Amino acid sequence: MNVEAAPAPVGAKYSDRAVGERRLGWKLVAPAVLVMLAVTAYPMLNALYLSLFSYRLTDPAGREFVGLRNYAVILGDSLWWQDVATTLTITIITVVVELVLGFGFAMVMHRIIFGRRGVRVSILIPYGIITVVSAFAWRYAFALDSGFVNQWFNLADKAWFGERWSALFVICLSEIWKTTPFISLLLLAGLAQVPEVLQEAAKVDGATWWQRLFKVTLPNMKAAILVAVLFRTLDAYRLFDNVFIMTSGAQQTETVSFLAYRQMISRTALGLGSAVSVLLFLSVLLIAALFIKGFKVDLSQVRGG
Amino acid sequence: MRHLKRVNGAVARRDREQRFVAAVELNSARGRRSSSQRSRRGPALLCSILLASVLAACGQASATPTLNWYINPDNGGQAQLAQKCTERSNGAYVIKTSVLPNDATAQREQLVRRLAAQDASIDLMSLDPPFIPEFANAGFLRPFSQDEAAEFTRGVLQGPIESSTWDGELVAAPFWANTQLLWFRKSVAQEAGIDPTKSNVTWNDLISAAERAGATMQIQGNRYEGYMVLVSALVSSAGGQILANPEAGKDVRPAIASEAGREAAEVISTLAESDARDPAISTSDEETARAAFQSDRGGFMINWPYVYGAAQEAVAEGSLDQAAVDDIGWARYPRVEASQESQPPLGGISLGIGAYSQHHDLALDAVRCITSLESQTEYMVGAKNPGARAAVYDDPEVRAIFPMADLIRDSINAAAPRPKTPYYTDVSTAVVRSFHPPRSVSPQTPERAASLIVDVLNDRVLL
Amino acid sequence: MKQRHGAWTVLGAILIMVWAISPVIWIFSLSFKAGDDINNNRFWPTQFSLENYDTVFSTALFTSSLRNSIGIALISTLLSVAIATVAAYAIARLDFPGKRTVLSIALAIAMFPAVSLVGPLFNTWRTVGLYDTWLGLIIPYMSFTLPLSLWTLSAFFKEIPWEMEEAAQMDGATPWQAFRKVIVPLAAPGVFTAAILAFFFAWNDFVFAISLTSTNAARPVPAALAFFTGESQFQQPAGAISAAAVVVTIPVIILVLLFQKRIVAGLTNGAVKG
Repeated sequence: MNVEAAPAPVGAKYSDRAVGERRLGWKLVAPAVLVMLAVTAYPMLNALYLSLFSYRLTDPAGREFVGLRNYAVILGDSLWWQDVATTLTITIITVVVELVLGFGFAMVMHRIIFGRRGVRVSILIPYGIITVVSAFAWRYAFALDSGFVNQWFNLADKAWFGERWSALFVICLSEIWKTTPFISLLLLAGLAQVPEVLQEAAKVDGATWWQRLFKVTLPNMKAAILVAVLFRTLDAYRLFDNVFIMTSGAQQTETVSFLAYRQMISRTALGLGSAVSVLLFLSVLLIAALFIKGFKVDLSQVRGG
Repeated sequence: MRHLKRVNGAVARRDREQRFVAAVELNSARGRRSSSQRSRRGPALLCSILLASVLAACGQASATPTLNWYINPDNGGQAQLAQKCTERSNGAYVIKTSVLPNDATAQREQLVRRLAAQDASIDLMSLDPPFIPEFANAGFLRPFSQDEAAEFTRGVLQGPIESSTWDGELVAAPFWANTQLLWFRKSVAQEAGIDPTKSNVTWNDLISAAERAGATMQIQGNRYEGYMVLVSALVSSAGGQILANPEAGKDVRPAIASEAGREAAEVISTLAESDARDPAISTSDEETARAAFQSDRGGFMINWPYVYGAAQEAVAEGSLDQAAVDDIGWARYPRVEASQESQPPLGGISLGIGAYSQHHDLALDAVRCITSLESQTEYMVGAKNPGARAAVYDDPEVRAIFPMADLIRDSINAAAPRPKTPYYTDVSTAVVRSFHPPRSVSPQTPERAASLIVDVLNDRVLL
Repeated sequence: MKQRHGAWTVLGAILIMVWAISPVIWIFSLSFKAGDDINNNRFWPTQFSLENYDTVFSTALFTSSLRNSIGIALISTLLSVAIATVAAYAIARLDFPGKRTVLSIALAIAMFPAVSLVGPLFNTWRTVGLYDTWLGLIIPYMSFTLPLSLWTLSAFFKEIPWEMEEAAQMDGATPWQAFRKVIVPLAAPGVFTAAILAFFFAWNDFVFAISLTSTNAARPVPAALAFFTGESQFQQPAGAISAAAVVVTIPVIILVLLFQKRIVAGLTNGAVKG
């Protein structure tokens, strides 16, 4: 991962001070690095170890070393692949919709002068709201007993959560509502980096709005867009809260995170559950690697997302 | 404990006020206690910052031992019993209740996780019977001695005793029992020309009657434990069972892929295909069924007795007419085959004592108080949950609130428990997954469920 | 950057506001519906009622979860911002090999699926006694609050005029003194912003919250919402859940109203000068 470094302080090489600075630098970052590794690397290694056993918490006596069998079971199970497909579907739909919507939002926020504060405040509310709250709000809006959506759109008694695609639709809506603000702010930062001179030059050349969008604006924002998409993709792939609240994974709306949770926490099947966790982690790594190698995402554009 | 949940006792306003007074008293008791709690909070915070090993040393050192009772949600009935039994103990202990989640599966999850951590703070727990074997097998429950068992089973209905027994030992004390009845609107039944109280009424009769009257037949079809209750009761009523040798643990042989299993599947698919189904059949639970039963298209419903109390409550609140309650009829759980008696589902709550509790003797005393005939009667009147002791049903106050008291008792006596296996959650999840959604059920479904059970128990597939 | 307002921009702004706010208004509206009004299938209540608020504030599950959430989120935010400030200073200011690696590690960890950590943590916590305790949540929360703070802060610190520190050091101050006396005041707004963002994340967490707690002792708000039983209530607790949701949304709205500029800047690293 290519990360842009801060400019080096002036004239600090090879002196005693440089050595001291280097030591100080390491000392200062050490706590952060140690804590980050302790809270992630240790549990991950533990999961890797547990995944080699058939081990049920309520049946400790039945613990047994099974090597890679858990992985074979998972990869040979259609439920795993169905959940992967569901997760990817949700990820792709939400990221694409959010990108288009977020770009529109960014354009508006970029241009607006009067009422800028109002727009920003309102857009930040979904960003800051608890995902579980968002999930409940959307669930109650679409539910047969408490909802108003069917009433408004004359849908009589359509059971939104009774069928796979309509349930996924509501899950995606909640997810999109909650996370578009994030993507739109990243894009707003990207928009601000498009040189105004180029826009003006294109205007002088008689380019239409669309031409300027595709020839000037978007190419100059490529880095920001890719970073936003990478962040949101990895985030969407972990989707859990909305599914838990809305369907509990029924009607084939289960995501990979939910599957791992169920094996691990509900069934207390620590072996099998750990194996799912490891595979989930590997698939996140794979997606990240694809983006960074495939699209050449420049992470120096990333600003503390 | 969705199916037992929200006991929703319909309590008339007068009762409600009484409860309110009780709640205020409870609150002030809580207030008194909280000052001592607050003084403990400082050290407690310190403890949580210190290393874990030090934590153990920071136990609470209050004079009166506190018994923690983990309860399923109800209308406050268990909290009241806790208070009553605290007073009865003459200062020997204080019972503090903690409410578990709504859903039976989630309740089990919370308890298992704590017990697996050998949590000494679990003294008493309200257990849904199907999860008892798992808890007992893992050594989470303190078994009762022969004498204690005799005491806790005297005059208790057979179903609750059996479901509280594991490996020949009573491991939980029956507290209350539950079963489902067929509820119907007399006007709708009349319009459809059916008498549901006739002994040989079948599911198919009811479904076609509901269709004729343009009404619904409400069940619990969400992907949760309540749907397992339905599948299990249908299979038993058809004369079959889900597992042939449930106590065999991992080496269990499923028996659901049988004629009875196919008949049960057929009932579900017939309903799911018919006009009598609820539009949201695949997400319906006890509460949605109850709401739909009281709405325009309501006609027939399978549900626990709390719904009758809830209807009375709705009248008291003014959201339902008395005429609607007068229109409600009840009957024994419908048959699958006209020639064979139905076996209604069995639910309820038994009290377990945590194996890691530091207060076994006090907890035992509390169980004695909570499961006494008097307490059970009080609970049935207040919380609207049927007692586990047969004599509860003879109480005049109970009979006034539950005109169908005898039917409930008979149904509990005839009820079939869900499979008694330490792997119950896996078995139940596998069955529910195979049978869900209801409209996907086909004659092949029981076979799929059977092979899924075997594969799941042997860690050959995910669940 | 300033352009004249097109009609589209105004229309867009209005649409954005409606889109962002209406679900929040809906949950407010739900929370004011009492009893069977919840099921009136309308957006607005037929009759305003505060019954649900009475219910949630007399429900121990909710009040204790509110306390837990505030405490746990604040402590994990403070801890991680403190550690991250020191590290981000070093990354922005000092020259030493490996600082790119540190940022890469932080980024990788921020992307970590929380569910992957839950199982092993549960298994470890139950043996060492951290299950269902504050500390048992504060530690895993650091897995996202710390990298997030590190990234936000190191981006902020890049903008700080470090010459002033140089000057202070010329005057004889040690690096530590220069850091404390000159840089800390300059860095405070950035630190504060990082803290808000980290707090949002900790406040929002659900996966750790439901997996590593089981009683009122440590259960935070999102988990409490999911397990709400409405205690001694007869209706489905939709009304109570909505009221609780409103209560926990109000701090978010206040933070956003007070600090919208900082939050936007934190998310975009000051690239947009409000």
